[in-house]
Amino acid sequence: MDWLEEELKQALDRKAPSPDFAERVRRRTRGDGFRTALWPQRWLAAAAVVLVMTGAGLGYRQYQGNQAKEQMMMAFRIAGEKVNHIQVQVKERTR
Amino acid sequence: MIGLVSAPQTGLNFDALMRTHQSMVFSLAYHFLHDREVAEEVAQEVFLSLHRNLKSIQSESHAGFWLRKVAVQRAIDEGRRRARRPQVALEDVAEPSTHDAQQDPLLRDRLRRLIATLPESPRAVMILRYQEDLDPAEIAEILSMPVATVKSHLQRSLALLREKLARRSMGEV
Repeated sequence: MDWLEEELKQALDRKAPSPDFAERVRRRTRGDGFRTALWPQRWLAAAAVVLVMTGAGLGYRQYQGNQAKEQMMMAFRIAGEKVNHIQVQVKERTR
Repeated sequence: MIGLVSAPQTGLNFDALMRTHQSMVFSLAYHFLHDREVAEEVAQEVFLSLHRNLKSIQSESHAGFWLRKVAVQRAIDEGRRRARRPQVALEDVAEPSTHDAQQDPLLRDRLRRLIATLPESPRAVMILRYQEDLDPAEIAEILSMPVATVKSHLQRSLALLREKLARRSMGEV
């Protein structure tokens, strides 16, 4: 190893991080652990939200279906009444 | 307490690993990025990653290898992400006006700055060679590159440094 390589070894020697480095990492690992511990709860909450939204969506579609059904039945009733009325009038005229 | 966090099979203690390797991890990032604050941030991320992956670490030596590999990779990623200092070719770095290179009190700082201006791969190779005193085969394993490439980076980088320093000496005669 020549002088340049010796100088490089000196230039690139290990340096110490700031004195509170380890403590800052520990703090972050505690936060990390806390976040990790919260993962199941977060997943459950997200799943519950998805479930409620899906349920609400299905309920709303069912409600819309019922509404459409009722409107159609009413339209049939009105149409039936009109047909009956026409039939009565036709019968009266043919007598 | 987080200090008691250990890998169950190996008994490796996170706090002990951090005490042993913090200078190594920080210095790899520092010499690569040439920015103390950023290097500390990178080193913290490396240890957080170790904390998450402690179960996969098989031994003390594996921890050292793993930390070197992750530290270099994170430093490379951070350098790319920040792009704080655009890379300057070694030949383009300004010549200082001092005398005999071997007695230059600023030589080491100059060498550090020159190393920091090298492209990613040769920079990582030089830092692992002269900071960590690793041989080309070990460097090749950490950087996942052929040994011949490592040797080539070392030779070319040293030649460039010598040329740079020689040019400076000649300019002052």
